[in-house]
Formats: sequence, C-alpha cells, structure tokens
Amino acid sequence: MGPLIPLHIIPETWNHVIAVLLGMAFGFIMESSGFSSSRKIVGLFYGYDFTVLRVFFTATVVTAIGLYYFSYMGWIDMSFVYIHPTYLTAAIVGGLIMGLGFVSGGYCPGTSLIGAAIGRIDGIVFTTGLMIGIFLFSEAFPVLEGIYEGTGMFDGDFLGYITITEYFNISPHLFIFGFTVVAVAAFYFTNLIRKRVKPVNY
Amino acid sequence: MSKRYFILGAVLIIVAFGLVLLPDSVNKDQVPPEKLLKEIMSQSRYISPDLVASRMIDEDPSIFLVDVRSAEEYSTYSLPGALNIPLENLLDNEWKPYLEQTGVDVVLISNDNLYAEQAWVLCTRSGYKNIYVLKGGLNQWFADIMQPQMPAPTEPAEAFDLYTFRKGASKYFGGGSDDQMVTSNKSESLPVIQRTKKSAAAGGC
Amino acid sequence: MDNKNDHSKTYFNPYFGGVMLGLILLATFYITGRGLGASGAAKSTVVAAVDRVAPKHAEESTYYSKFISDDLHPMNTWLVFEAIGVLAGAFLSGAIAGRLKIKTEHNPKITRRRRLVFALIGGILFGVGSQIARGCTSGAALSGAAVLSLGGFITMMAIFGSAYGFAYFFRKLWT
Repeated sequence: MGPLIPLHIIPETWNHVIAVLLGMAFGFIMESSGFSSSRKIVGLFYGYDFTVLRVFFTATVVTAIGLYYFSYMGWIDMSFVYIHPTYLTAAIVGGLIMGLGFVSGGYCPGTSLIGAAIGRIDGIVFTTGLMIGIFLFSEAFPVLEGIYEGTGMFDGDFLGYITITEYFNISPHLFIFGFTVVAVAAFYFTNLIRKRVKPVNY
Repeated sequence: MSKRYFILGAVLIIVAFGLVLLPDSVNKDQVPPEKLLKEIMSQSRYISPDLVASRMIDEDPSIFLVDVRSAEEYSTYSLPGALNIPLENLLDNEWKPYLEQTGVDVVLISNDNLYAEQAWVLCTRSGYKNIYVLKGGLNQWFADIMQPQMPAPTEPAEAFDLYTFRKGASKYFGGGSDDQMVTSNKSESLPVIQRTKKSAAAGGC
Repeated sequence: MDNKNDHSKTYFNPYFGGVMLGLILLATFYITGRGLGASGAAKSTVVAAVDRVAPKHAEESTYYSKFISDDLHPMNTWLVFEAIGVLAGAFLSGAIAGRLKIKTEHNPKITRRRRLVFALIGGILFGVGSQIARGCTSGAALSGAAVLSLGGFITMMAIFGSAYGFAYFFRKLWT
C-alpha cells in the first residue's frame, strides 16, 4: 500500500537516498531524451522538433493511467498523494511568465539543470537567472502576496487541492481516456506539421 | 507514420480505455456486510484489561492504545500513552496512518464497550487490520486493574495468581487508592509506540 | 525517423523516453506521495543563501520566513537531494552518449553573448513565474497534470500557450 514514505512503510531515513536515486533516473532519462539541448526543446514552438511534446505528454499519460490503476488495485491511497493546489490567477499569470521565459531562455528549470550538468553554458546561465528570479520574487513578495495567496483583490482564487475532474465533476477514468486520445492525436498531427516545417540543423 | 507507432498509440489508448471499463471502485476497500456480520459475531476482537496491562508492563511495542472518547474526557483520564482520536474524527485522513497498519495491535478504548465497539465497526469496515476493543472499557479497567477484588478463599489458585498480578499492575499504573479517577494521564515512560505522522508536504516545485 | 541531425541516433526514442519518465514519475508518487520538481531546489538554495548572507533580512521578509521556519522541512531538502541526483544522472547520460562538452548552444545566426543574455532573462522570468504558480514545468505542469490537478493543467496550458504566443517575437533567436 502506497505511498510508501507518508505511510511509514519505508522509514524516513531512506528519504534522501531515494531522492537522489529518483533524481538520477529523472536526470538520466531527460538527458537521454534530448532535454539538455535548448534548441531541441524550443523546436516545439517553431515546429521543427516535437520531442518535448512527445516525451512530456507520454510521461503525463503513463503516470496518470498508472496512478489510477494503482489506486484501483488498492496499491496507492490517492488521499495521500499531494495534489498541486489551485490558485487561479497565480496559475495563469505564473504560467504566462514562464512561457515567455521558455521561448526566451530555451530551457525550463529542470532542463537547464540537465543542460548545465553536461556543460552547456546557456544552461548554467539560465539556472543562475532562475535563482535571481526567485530572489527578485522574494524581494517583491509584499507586492505579489495577494496573487500568490489568493487574498485581497484575488480573493476566492484559491480553489483548494482540487483535481480537474472534481472541479468539472466528471469521472477521472473517462478524463484520462480522453486525455490519452488527445495526446495520441497530438503526436500524429505534430508529426505532420514537423514534416512541413523547414528543418533546422542544430 | 509507421505502422509501429500506430500499434503503440493503439495500445496506449486501449490501456487508457481499460480504466473507463473498470467497475466502480468506491466500496472496494470496504468489507462486505456478510463478512462484517461474521466478524461482529466473533468475540475475537475483545482484549481483556489484564492482557492489555500485562503487555503494557512488558513494554510491548506492538500494542497501540487509541482512546475514542472526547478530548475532554481524554484530558481527565486515559491510559498512559494512549492516543486520543475522538469517535467523530475517526475517519479523518490525519489518523489513517495510525489505524491502517499491520504489525501493531490497535486497542480501542472508551468508558465502556459502546464507543469502542462503534469505532471498531468503522475501522473494520474500512478494512483496517488488527483492531481490538478493550473489553469493558475503562470501567472494567478500574474494576480489574486499579481496584482488584480479593477472590473468595474458595476460589481456585489461578484466581489468586490473577489477583497478585492485578495488585502488581495496579501499583504499576499508580492505582490502589480511591482517588485514582483523577490521576493524570501523564505517563512516566510508557512503552507504547508514538508514531509520528507526516502530512503531505506543501510547496516547492 | 527522418530527422537529419547527428544527435538523433544517440537520443532515446521520444516515446520510449516518455514512457520511462512516466514510470519514474509513477514510482516517485508511489514512494513519496508527490511528484518531481526542479525549481523547488533552486528556491531552497536561494532561501539558504539569503539566510546566510543576511539572516536578519531573511527573517523579516514574509516570503523567506515562510521557508526558513520550513528550512528543515523534509520536502525542501528532499528537492535539493533530488536536484543533485538530476545533475548526476544527466551527467552520466551525457558521458555515456559522448555529449559532455563545455559550450554554448546557440543559433549560428546570433552571437553567443546574445544567447546568454536571453538565457539569463528567460531564467529570471522562469524564477518569478515558477514562484507565483508554485511550481515549474516539472513540479506544476508535469507532476500536477499527472495527478489531474486543476492548477497543474491551467499552468501547463498557460506555459505552452504563452510560449507559442511569444514564439513569433523570438523567432530570430532560434530559427
């Protein structure tokens, strides 16, 4: 019955060992899939390389399907799984800023670490920028507190630790099925797009 | 688009569709009524105050006391080391790690059997294992352990052995006098494992 | 695959990589009850650094103090350990595939300097954005969407939508 650490099936002393091991697997797979190359990542936005979309959607779908099968089998208790909380405006505004950072920097925080690990200077610079950005946010926090906490003029933004299927009151299983179909369709159509776009050598 | 990818895509969609076909799993973790009835009829859920006392004295780490009375009653008196989970909060997620476990015997305590029994039914129906009820509750505990009655001279030797044990246990738990109803539940060093519960951590990316 | 660049042979097939990544993420949820993250480690580093350099300031600031009390919080250090693992794993993969090389990857049409300036700007924007949205592409979008979190989906769509929207203005940088 999982999750193992919150339910004390694995003692907490193993926590950091597991963190390093999972991180290594994560880093290895991301690097091997080509996430260390900013030009490969950004290909997604210009239509010449959809690797990111393929890896990202496949991973999301596999995890979601796996989690719900695990939950059905009683192997994992979903009430102990951390659901990313929903702060409406913060999620949108943060996402918009990150999207701008994505096309500008060519990396996201995870991939910049991976780029930095194999010696990409742009990855190191991006990671430095990331820390500067976090520092700036922290300094400006009094101004941004409303949007972050969903208070003041953003009152009512916090919708809780809610899933999309709870919010729209649909079956999670049906949603995952639909999501999978959309993902597979996206793989097919993006491949058609890629064939039409002038290839970029990098 | 090669045939290979077509097959792989189809496999993924079929696996996802399997989720849709799954029967409703809402009651899956719960014990069916027939089985529950059988367990209710069985007396094996009761654990006597003597056994609890002896295991506590032996510092047995595999016994875990849960007081299902209100916080108010709990603060007045409870068994040393007992954790307070008021009945109305029994199914809160907060307490799940304590109750849902294997390898530890959870003993439910109330004043008499009533609330502990109700809690036992809820726990059993939730599929928790190794859940017991302190037979007769705290009242029986007082009668047996804190103020044991000397057996009549005609009773067999076992009764006297039990009495001797109870006398000792009574000393151990600070009983023996008449005012133990107000003894505090601050135990000296009781062996019951105190599992620290970790909530799902927040924040971070 | 008809992709003619010379790396493609050494990279995993993206779907294979995706399935593997999904399984790792599933294992992470199964073991730790939560997903993977990247910007959290950077946040812990920043908080720790500010706390070291200007402890007084850190204590007074609302945002830092949120995490200083939490600094010993297992999750924050967990993410740092995870990030160390990510670096090690990526290094290993790069070493095996022969991709270890110190260089700046940029479009030959732009200067190296320009690329680095935009990387820095992108990093800063990502730093701010990930804090507002409580997570980045890995923590909010990937791990969030995998558990069907509403916020995770919104952030994911906002990130990719905005990236597509702004892509036109940055096209000289990349193509």
